[in-house]
Amino acid sequence: MDLVRHLECFVAVAEESHFGRAAARLGMAQPPLSQRVQRLERELGVRLFERTSRQVRITEAGTLLLAEAREVLSRTESFLAAARRVRDGETGLLRAALPPDLSGETVAALLADFGDRHAGLELELHELSTAQQLDRLAAHDLDVGVVHHPCDVTGLELGPVLRRELGVLLPAATAAGLDEVPLPALSGRDLILFPRTAAPALYDELLTTCARGGFTPAAVRHGQGASFVQGLVLSSGAVALCPRDAAPSGQGNGEADVVWRPLTGGAPALRHSAAWPKGRGDAAVQAFAEAATHALRTAAGAVPDVPARPLHLRPASEYWL
Amino acid sequence: MTDAVARIHAALADAGVTGWLHAFDIDSGEQLDAGADQPVCTASVHKLCLLVALHEQAARGALDLAEQVECGPEERTAGPTGVAAMLDAARMSLRDLAYLMMAVSDNAAADLLLRRVGLDAVNATTARLGLTRTRAVHSFGEMLATVKEDAGPEGARALADPRVVSRLRALDPERTNRSTPRDMTRLLGAVWRDEACTPEHGAAIRRIMGLQVWPHRLASGFPFDDVHVAGKTGSLPTLRNEVGVVEYPDGGRYAVAVFTRTAHTAATLPAADAVIGTAARIAVDALRARAFRSSR
Repeated sequence: MDLVRHLECFVAVAEESHFGRAAARLGMAQPPLSQRVQRLERELGVRLFERTSRQVRITEAGTLLLAEAREVLSRTESFLAAARRVRDGETGLLRAALPPDLSGETVAALLADFGDRHAGLELELHELSTAQQLDRLAAHDLDVGVVHHPCDVTGLELGPVLRRELGVLLPAATAAGLDEVPLPALSGRDLILFPRTAAPALYDELLTTCARGGFTPAAVRHGQGASFVQGLVLSSGAVALCPRDAAPSGQGNGEADVVWRPLTGGAPALRHSAAWPKGRGDAAVQAFAEAATHALRTAAGAVPDVPARPLHLRPASEYWL
Repeated sequence: MTDAVARIHAALADAGVTGWLHAFDIDSGEQLDAGADQPVCTASVHKLCLLVALHEQAARGALDLAEQVECGPEERTAGPTGVAAMLDAARMSLRDLAYLMMAVSDNAAADLLLRRVGLDAVNATTARLGLTRTRAVHSFGEMLATVKEDAGPEGARALADPRVVSRLRALDPERTNRSTPRDMTRLLGAVWRDEACTPEHGAAIRRIMGLQVWPHRLASGFPFDDVHVAGKTGSLPTLRNEVGVVEYPDGGRYAVAVFTRTAHTAATLPAADAVIGTAARIAVDALRARAFRSSR
């Protein structure tokens, strides 16, 4: 018995609750599908479905086995992805990408960890924005990346989502005596942010989160390079958002002109996860994803992003759980 | 037209969404394609297919639209509007259930109708009208059950997690009710030209579609008192759709289908709703400009 093929039939019938629709999804006729499910039930000695003339319903025993069956299928996919890599002669090379805003320490930690996990695999590493990574992942020109959320995750599988809390860059004189800065205390100041076209959804999320916490900037100025941003902070009294691990060096020695302080009161965060095309998560991709997750947690102080706030769905949402 | 397509893509990107649109002039057949053949999840837009199937059966005499349906409080499909949100037993006609299904996207009303009409009949109707890439594989309750199952024990809150969203079967066109923008405008064209049903039933469908209460998507792009907008929305986590017909007082009628996915997982994103209207407006303006040029 071809177990994988039979499990595909089992999962499809369980998900569609209908032999005809499951057959259509699998691109096969209904009689052989029914036969396969019956054969699987015989081999396992377990009744998976209750059949009536009008419908088919999964049994309790079937429900118990469904998660395991999905696991086997997903492992199979991963195995086939690895085989494809070997067949296509890519076995020695993993094409990966990182966003430009990670600190040198984070990148170094990731590379060291990946080397330990997967010695002998050559890593072709690119520095790419989230938008560039999404394009290349979709075209299969990239095996795995680390993307910023929010982004359109259609067709992707993701590693755990991690968040790096953002603090604020202030002129040293303004920050004197402050260990941390409540968001509303920034009211009336200008905010320096990257140009909106670079990542509209992230840009809007940062402004919305600041406003939600009590800080609506008087104006938004656009800047990206570290030196340019620090210059604006020093000269104009504007503030900028920045994760702790990317804060300007010289912190804590009392000599910096621009200093970093944590924000309180619902601070915005940068959220990342490893991402790869659906069904192509082989061992090398997984190793990179795990190394990236580990490096972000240890070297960049990222923490798991647990949705902690309540979610009030409004009637126009059209769905309800 | 390529300029209009570029402006549509720019508007969608600016709102933080990825989207696909098809628009066409119902009378001249002129069209605008911005990803018209993309396979998309229909979500509640499929209620339009169910509505057409219902009227087709009524036209054949297979059912009476005034037939009364018992809507018991038990085992109602969940939803935030209409019968789905009500607490007590109710009794109403098939056509009033259809009104609730279309006006406020009532999930319970839709599944009561679907039980009477049958999923196979819905697929037979769309197939008969030549919508080769449109298919319903489950009821609205079953679709929501997959979301609930995939979201896990955290419930709705987990839907803010991009990783959870990436796993939702209800967002995979191969595993849920599906169509394409072009198939949906084809359906709308058939309804507006009375090719889907008899004129009497076509008029009933158009009336109900004109009673949809939501102002935030397609209608928001046409802030003109003399322009009539009839449509049906569809929504799931990160998914926002609307298909409908925009009618101008000079007789111009345009079928538009817009399907989008937001980058952000937040449930409340007014700009993502509004850009459906913005994109539709760019498309309709382009079709009207073309008709104006060719009439001179």
